Amino acid sequence: MFKETAKRFKATAPLLLQSALFRQARISTIRVGNSVHGHRYFNVSCILNAKVLPRKKPRVKVDIPGLERITYADRMHFVPGLAKPFFPVWERDWNDPSHFYSSKLEEMPLHKEKQCFIFSQSTNPLEGVRQALWLTKSNLTKGLPDQVLSLVNNKANQMENLDDRVQNAIRHACLWDTTEEEPSREKYCGTLVRNLLHLCGSLQATHPGLGRRIFAEKYSLAATWSRGDELFQVRGKNGLLLNSMDPLPVVAGKEEIQNTADHILETFYPISPTIDLQRVHVYKELSHTEIETHQTRQHSSSLQLSNFGFKDDYPYPHAHTLFILRAGDTLVNLPPEQLRAKMIMFAFGNALTRAQTLHGTKAGVLEEPIVVQSVATDGQMFQFVVFQLNTTDLQPDEGVKNMVWIDEDQLLYDSAIVCPVLKRKVVHIPAGLSGYKSETFQKLMALYLHGAV
Amino acid sequence: MAVLSLSRTLRSLALSRPVLLPYQTAVRSQVLSLRTCSGLWGSCLEQWRGFLTTASLEQNRTAWKNREKYTIRPIGMKKTGGRDHTGKIRTHGIGGGHKQRYRWIDFQRLRYQPGNEEKAFEEKVVEVRYDPCRSADIALVAGGNRKRWIIATENMQVGDLIKTSGTIGRMAVAANEGDSFPLGALPVGTLINNLELYPGKGATYIRAAGTSGVLLRKVNGTAIVQLPSKLQVQVMETCMVTVGRVSNVDHNKRIIGKAGRNRWLGIRPSSGLWQRKGGWAGQNHPARTGPRGHSHSAV
Repeated sequence: MFKETAKRFKATAPLLLQSALFRQARISTIRVGNSVHGHRYFNVSCILNAKVLPRKKPRVKVDIPGLERITYADRMHFVPGLAKPFFPVWERDWNDPSHFYSSKLEEMPLHKEKQCFIFSQSTNPLEGVRQALWLTKSNLTKGLPDQVLSLVNNKANQMENLDDRVQNAIRHACLWDTTEEEPSREKYCGTLVRNLLHLCGSLQATHPGLGRRIFAEKYSLAATWSRGDELFQVRGKNGLLLNSMDPLPVVAGKEEIQNTADHILETFYPISPTIDLQRVHVYKELSHTEIETHQTRQHSSSLQLSNFGFKDDYPYPHAHTLFILRAGDTLVNLPPEQLRAKMIMFAFGNALTRAQTLHGTKAGVLEEPIVVQSVATDGQMFQFVVFQLNTTDLQPDEGVKNMVWIDEDQLLYDSAIVCPVLKRKVVHIPAGLSGYKSETFQKLMALYLHGAV
Repeated sequence: MAVLSLSRTLRSLALSRPVLLPYQTAVRSQVLSLRTCSGLWGSCLEQWRGFLTTASLEQNRTAWKNREKYTIRPIGMKKTGGRDHTGKIRTHGIGGGHKQRYRWIDFQRLRYQPGNEEKAFEEKVVEVRYDPCRSADIALVAGGNRKRWIIATENMQVGDLIKTSGTIGRMAVAANEGDSFPLGALPVGTLINNLELYPGKGATYIRAAGTSGVLLRKVNGTAIVQLPSKLQVQVMETCMVTVGRVSNVDHNKRIIGKAGRNRWLGIRPSSGLWQRKGGWAGQNHPARTGPRGHSHSAV
């Protein structure tokens, strides 16, 4: 643009002396006044009004073997007619972590031909629980098992002023535990679960078995299994895990386990069960649960994790209950259906790693089924899942199946707000805690006491 | 300094001074004399407004469009205001409006999943929703291991199964609405939409809300389709179409109501420029009749 104007300027330079000629050289239409807009100066500004040409495609470089290009590399500046020099990409000789380039996926040492489908903590499976049931080869029963429900009605498991204490725990989390008007969901969700678990833990005086447990936060899980022709993994950090020294008692007896062989798994044609799972080719076939500590982070490579399951010397090897919070502070906010699928998958993952620790990778029906429970909440609504791993032979659709009990969408209270909601001077939602439902907490306590009574 | 001011003076002399009519020169000389009183810099005020000293930088970069892998996630769009890559207005009457996100529609309905080539497949409708980028509604369909957006047909509902097949049998198929077949497999007279002009290129015609074409006849390996404009095109019979009518039938009955609603949609006021008058203005134009050799007809 500038170059062209300069050329034109040179061309008109001789005319500058003869102003009359110069004036003839232009075509102009002048508006009234001193404005220069709207003039058509063909000698200068035609490029401003020219038709815009489409973008040029980059020229294809043709390499003819045996012929060498003559470039302007040794001249060190552009020369018309000579080719643009091509220099090889410079590589640094030292390792600079801030300029790290990973190698191609195909060249990585962990790259495998066979693809693996990974279920992680942010997976949002389209078909929800049905998909989780297919992946874990499970049989669904609505409602909690009788063995757990009998704990609810047992008078020995009650404590004094239970309802008042639970309501105070809810009020503490939802109303009082803040310096602002109202605590956010991210805050009160975690506080509520801790308060309720603390209440449950206060039964330790009457049930000494509760002392043989420990909570693990930020633990990560890896479980690998084959289902059909495909390889699957459950992976990632998820929730709060309650570990125990003793395994949970088996929920369903041998007869019921044998009856599950007649059950036919639900399929959801035309959708494949692997939909929405992450498909990878670079993976490790791990199967263990690991608690992230400072030590493991530092020496993760040198640490001798047993290949399957918990570390050998871990005194609380049995996963008891997995608490998952849906507090709205993560990237993916799962809908309730997908949240239940996630609960099933991670309870299954924990059970499977335990089974593989005990019996190795050899697939078969377990003599001692493994039970893992899971509780999820968004601070108001609770979901309860009990999972029983009967078999690790997951490849075929036939045979003994695993079992899942789900109690879904249990409200702990209707509302807990600071300011009442008024419509036309009528109170629609009162301030404070309202609509407390004691059954939901009873179920939570029953799941907590399960195995310690 | 002297060179600079000389060059400025020269520039204003050589390039910017418009030719003045005699009655204007008197006024102009007065103005100029006033300005020269304030020194040599007075000439700086006389700038050449159309004289640009830099090239316009790359405008309206389309980085958001250049993706290799298909995604169903809405993609953030940059508004162009009708400008092209040089910054000049390419299309008038565009600008402003509510921010919109682009949902990548898979117009190539017959896109096989790897490992399942040449097999008819079915998909399930997961969601039917509004799309800001087009007049028709769009549907999220899931089948096998993938999900994709397609243009919804009139009666498509969540949970429906829709079929896609690429084979042309001896008999015409009994197609349901929303199914996709090659033109050769359909009976004559079927209402169709999402018409491909070339086999495998992806649907380009009959995609707007409420439109449909008619399969008129099939002639040795080609098919003649009547477009919504009553024009007829002749395309290969292996071109894929969707059966039925495009969704959002009442799109033409919506009431804009006020000028501001058009601005919400990103449409600016029309300019009032003179337009060629057609038949509605009482002028005679011979009607177009018969099948026309379409410029794209792939016979």
